Amino acid sequence: MSTTLRIALLAGLLALVSNLAVIGFIYYRTHDEAAATLRQQVMEQGKVLADVYRSGGRPALDGAIRDTMTYADPQTAVAIIGQDGGQAEGNLDAIPPSLLKSREGYRNALIRLRGQTTPHEAALTMHELAGGQWLVSGRIAGEGLAIRDTLERSLLIALVFAGLLGLLCGLILAHYVGRRIGSIARVADRISARDLTQRVPVSRADDAFDRLGRQINAMLDRISALMEELRLLTDSLAHDLRSPVSRLRSAAHAAAQASDPREQEELFGSVIRQADSLMRILTTVLEISRSEALTGRRQFAWFDVGELSNELTEMYDPLAEERSTTLVYDRPAWPVPLFGHRQLLAQAISNLIENALRYGASGGEIRVRVEPSERTIRVEVADRGPGIPPERRDEARRRFGRLDTSRSDEGAGLGLALAESIAHLHNGQLLLEDNRPGLLTVLVLPVHAERPPSSGAVQPEASAAI
Amino acid sequence: MGRKILLVEDDKETAAYLAKGLTQEGHSVEQAANGQDGLFRATDGSFDLIVLDRMLPVIDGLSVLKALRAAKIQTPVLILSALASVGDRIEGLECGSDDYLTKPFSFAELLARVNALLRRREARVDPAEHRLSVGDLEIDPLSRSVRRAGKKLDLKPREYLLLEYFARNEGRVVTRTMLLEQVWDYHFDPGTNVIDVHVSRLRRKLDEGFDKPLLHTVRGAGYMLAA
Repeated sequence: MSTTLRIALLAGLLALVSNLAVIGFIYYRTHDEAAATLRQQVMEQGKVLADVYRSGGRPALDGAIRDTMTYADPQTAVAIIGQDGGQAEGNLDAIPPSLLKSREGYRNALIRLRGQTTPHEAALTMHELAGGQWLVSGRIAGEGLAIRDTLERSLLIALVFAGLLGLLCGLILAHYVGRRIGSIARVADRISARDLTQRVPVSRADDAFDRLGRQINAMLDRISALMEELRLLTDSLAHDLRSPVSRLRSAAHAAAQASDPREQEELFGSVIRQADSLMRILTTVLEISRSEALTGRRQFAWFDVGELSNELTEMYDPLAEERSTTLVYDRPAWPVPLFGHRQLLAQAISNLIENALRYGASGGEIRVRVEPSERTIRVEVADRGPGIPPERRDEARRRFGRLDTSRSDEGAGLGLALAESIAHLHNGQLLLEDNRPGLLTVLVLPVHAERPPSSGAVQPEASAAI
Repeated sequence: MGRKILLVEDDKETAAYLAKGLTQEGHSVEQAANGQDGLFRATDGSFDLIVLDRMLPVIDGLSVLKALRAAKIQTPVLILSALASVGDRIEGLECGSDDYLTKPFSFAELLARVNALLRRREARVDPAEHRLSVGDLEIDPLSRSVRRAGKKLDLKPREYLLLEYFARNEGRVVTRTMLLEQVWDYHFDPGTNVIDVHVSRLRRKLDEGFDKPLLHTVRGAGYMLAA
């Protein structure tokens, strides 16, 4: 059974049940005590006359009828009717022919009393006499009974209509819902068939379906972006691994062909170095994915970013000197506690320093600065090199986004991408700014809401213990 | 001076290659191909070193390590793993391993680390080394003063730490990553030759003006301090 039909039937059934409840209530209220009293009066009057007939026969009955017509109230109806409808006795002028076909008992019928111009609804009892004649006795019911009868018939009709209308509404509703859901389902089908460009149509009504549609669209946008990034990554991974792999291959080839043992040893050393650099690229790519997946947060601890930056600056100082530049660390006045991954942040900061040494060393001085503020800690590495024009900064932070492709010997263009993913791991970001002149790379790290467990100074050695 | 080494590695080729290499170095190597067997053999505590692969059938390497440490067996453990990220290394070390080496590695690197761990075991047994000496080089760890042929050398704090680590591993190969991990406590692989620059600075202060160099470069592996 289709969903549409099921919803329609359910709506019809619900309409029927609720209408039945309303109609039942109305029926109960109108079928009140007055109707019951009338019925009792009519039944009693009929019984008295029948008793008179049984004990005194026809003459006694005729007398009783005359007495009734004389003394009873004008609403009383009483008559003896022949089989042909002719009236032997009584005050009935007209009765419906259907009355004669019926049997003994209580019923309602439309009758006209003698001397009246319009028929009235009356409650009657029928009692069969000898010779095919009938004793009819009863009372005009007044307005109430008539209305009630009409009402009952109307209610019954209304019930049928209500059921049908409910079914119709259900069909319309089910069709509407089905159409809205169907449009989402069609998009889902197309996406399952690998067409990620499809989007759920969203109307201006801004109803629940539109909100659902918008959410699905937003989700699809995110998935497409991730897919695109993944595609770019695999493409560039495949592309960027080509040159180290081919270098490795030619080095291995040369080593295999070398005849001099010393030369061969040297060439094999180069093979191993090439393989190591390949491994380093793969490890870094993996590290980026790990950071983006936020799995490293389990290893967060408190440590002093100022001390860490100091250590790293010292570590790179000889390298800077070798490249005839100076590495300066602006030490903050106080410890800068941060709840984070010390090892990964060390790697991020060292990547920024290495990046500055690699591309900005020509400018002379490289400054490392840690700037704590109320909500964030800025770790800055500023060089005086050529810098990166604003329009190329996004490219620079992308994986394998090496701007200067001529320098294929150093770096795979993963340094800034890894630093950025490590910033993301800490809910922070990597900014590339203009140092006027030169490049200013900044790790902006939000300060954790809670303070270090000990109220005193942070102990970087303790938090760095592994 | 052969030692007893337990090698827990499920990859047959790697296991055979490592066992052969370590045996040639004079050690006696016992092998286990899964974590359960490895744990069983290791629990008698008779080994000088356990080389433990991280991904093993039946019981994984880290669980074996945790079980050993829970049973108060303090045999040094070197973890081998294809999981190379900084987080994985730290997780391995936090579980109580003494060193962590990521695959692929050179045998020279493994051997250097194995020897360093065995050496540490020795040092623990005999802690009476107040002064370190290598040839005519003398190091006093308490005052952190260094003399060569009686002449005082002026070293920066990090240069001193570097030299002390070399001296404690006298005659053994020390790799660049070992230096980065042990002297600086960083577990990432820098993309530059920063470690080499530090070593060559130390070498200038140490060997310049002396006929016989003490700090040697070992091709394809690292460095070695030897008289």
